Amino acid sequence: MHHAYIDKFAYQDSPVHRLDSRVKLVAVIVFTALVISVPRHSLSILVCYAVGPFAMLVIGGIPIRFTLKHIVIVSPFVLVLAASSVLYGKAPVAVEFGPFTVHTTTGWLQFFNILAKFVVTMLALIALVSTTRFAELLRGLEKLRVPKLLVVQLGFLYRYIFVLIDSVHHILRARAGRKLRYLGAKAELKTAGSMVGSLLIRSINTAERISMAMQARGFDGTFRTHSKMRITLKDYLFCAAACSFLLLIYLIIRPALI
Amino acid sequence: MPSAVEIEGFCYTYPDGTVALSDVSLKISPGERVALIGPNGAGKSTLLLAMNGFLKGSGRVVIDGKQVAGRNKKAIRSVIGCVLQNPDEQLFMPTLFDDVAFGPLNMGIVGRQLTSRVENVLRKVGLAGMSHKAPHHLSAGQKRAAAIATVLAMSPAIIAMDEPDSHLDPRSRRGLVELLAGLEQTLVIASCNMNFAAELCSRAVVMDQGSITADGKAREIMVNSELMLKHGLEVPSSFKV
Repeated sequence: MHHAYIDKFAYQDSPVHRLDSRVKLVAVIVFTALVISVPRHSLSILVCYAVGPFAMLVIGGIPIRFTLKHIVIVSPFVLVLAASSVLYGKAPVAVEFGPFTVHTTTGWLQFFNILAKFVVTMLALIALVSTTRFAELLRGLEKLRVPKLLVVQLGFLYRYIFVLIDSVHHILRARAGRKLRYLGAKAELKTAGSMVGSLLIRSINTAERISMAMQARGFDGTFRTHSKMRITLKDYLFCAAACSFLLLIYLIIRPALI
Repeated sequence: MPSAVEIEGFCYTYPDGTVALSDVSLKISPGERVALIGPNGAGKSTLLLAMNGFLKGSGRVVIDGKQVAGRNKKAIRSVIGCVLQNPDEQLFMPTLFDDVAFGPLNMGIVGRQLTSRVENVLRKVGLAGMSHKAPHHLSAGQKRAAAIATVLAMSPAIIAMDEPDSHLDPRSRRGLVELLAGLEQTLVIASCNMNFAAELCSRAVVMDQGSITADGKAREIMVNSELMLKHGLEVPSSFKV
C-alpha cells in the first residue's frame, strides 16, 4: 500500500537537504519560539518571518501544493482554537493597510494572528521534515541530547504507523466486502468495537515479535546506535544566514512594525 | 565436534493449555540444511523459538555445545540467528544500515569494522547502496533479503528461518533460493512450501501436532506421497514423475 509519507521529499538532493539535521532542527526551534513570541495583535511582522521557511522550501524544491495540502490537513484543530478568540475579544480596533483603514475587533485580529502564526510555523516544520530524512532527524535529536528512549519511541512510531494503517485498511476492506446493508447503530458499533479490539491484539502480537527480533539480535535493554555527523562549512554558512535573518527581523523590522 | 543443534525430549505447552511441542528430539550437524515441514499449527515456529531460547519448556536444548538457559542466552543468540516470518517485525530501525548494524553493535562491534561488516552483508544479499533506505521503502523481496542480512551481520553459525518464502513472487523466491544456497551456515528452515524446502534442504523433518513424525533425506521423505498426504503436505512438483 502506498502512503503519504511526510518525508517523501526528504530523499531529494539540494543545498538544504545536504545541511546537518541538528543545524536545521535548532534553527526551526529558535524560529518557532520567535514567531510564537510575536504580540497577539500583530500581523505584518509574521509575513516577514514567513520569508525564511519559504526560501528553504523553494531551494529544497518542495512543491507549494504539497506544503499547502499539509497545512490544510492540520488546520481544523487550529481553526477551532482561533475561532474561540473571536468570542472573547470584543474591543473595537482600527487596522491600517497603507491608505485603507479597517474597523474590526481585537478578537478577529487575534484570530488572524493565530492562523498566521500557525501557517508560518507549519511552513518551517514542513521545510524541516521535507528536507531531512526521518532517520537523520532522529540522529540529530539524539546528538542534541534528547532522551534516547524518546528518540527510539519516535523511530518506532514512524516505522510502524504505516504498518498499522495497512492493517486498518485490510480490516475495513474485509468488512466492506461482507457488509451489504446498514445493520443499525448498535450492531455497527459492536462491529467497530470488534475491529478495534482485533487491531489492538494484532498490535500487541506484533510488539511481542519485534521484541523477540530485538532480543534475538542481542538486545539487552540498552539501545546502541552508530552515527557519524559532522558540522561542515555549509552548515556554518546556514547558521550565519539564519542568525542574520532572525536578528534583522527581531532588532530592526519588528520594533518598526509593532 | 558438537552438534549444531541438539534437542532432547523438549515439551512446551502454551499458557492456555495447548500442547505445542511434545517430546521433541532432534540432532542437526554443523553445515546441514534441514527443512522443518508440516501443516499449519504443527509446532515448527514454536520449535524455532525454543532453539533461540524464547520458550521455557521441559527437556534439553543445546546449541553449538551450549545448553540454552537464562544465563547464556546472549551467547546462544550470537551463535544462532533467527529470521522471523514477517520482515516488518524483523526490520524495526529507521534505516537499513541501522537495522543491519543493530546486532553487531550489541555484540560490541563499532567504528570502521561495523561499517565494513554492514556494507559487506548488504552486498552479499544484493542490497548494496541501499543502506540509507527506510525499511518501508523496500519491496517484499528486498525486505526478506534485508531481514536475512540483519542476522548474517552477526556471523552466526546457525540460521533458523520461519517461512522465509511467504508472500514472495516467483522472481523474489528465486532470488531468495540463490541467496540461501550460497550460505555456509547451518540452516533450519520451517516451511509449508515443499518446492522451496526441496530446493534448499538435503534433510527434511516432518512435524505434526507438536511431534516429529518423520526425519530423513528430503527426497526420500518428500516422494513418499502417503506420508506427505497423511500430514497435510504434498509431494513437490519437482519430485513428481
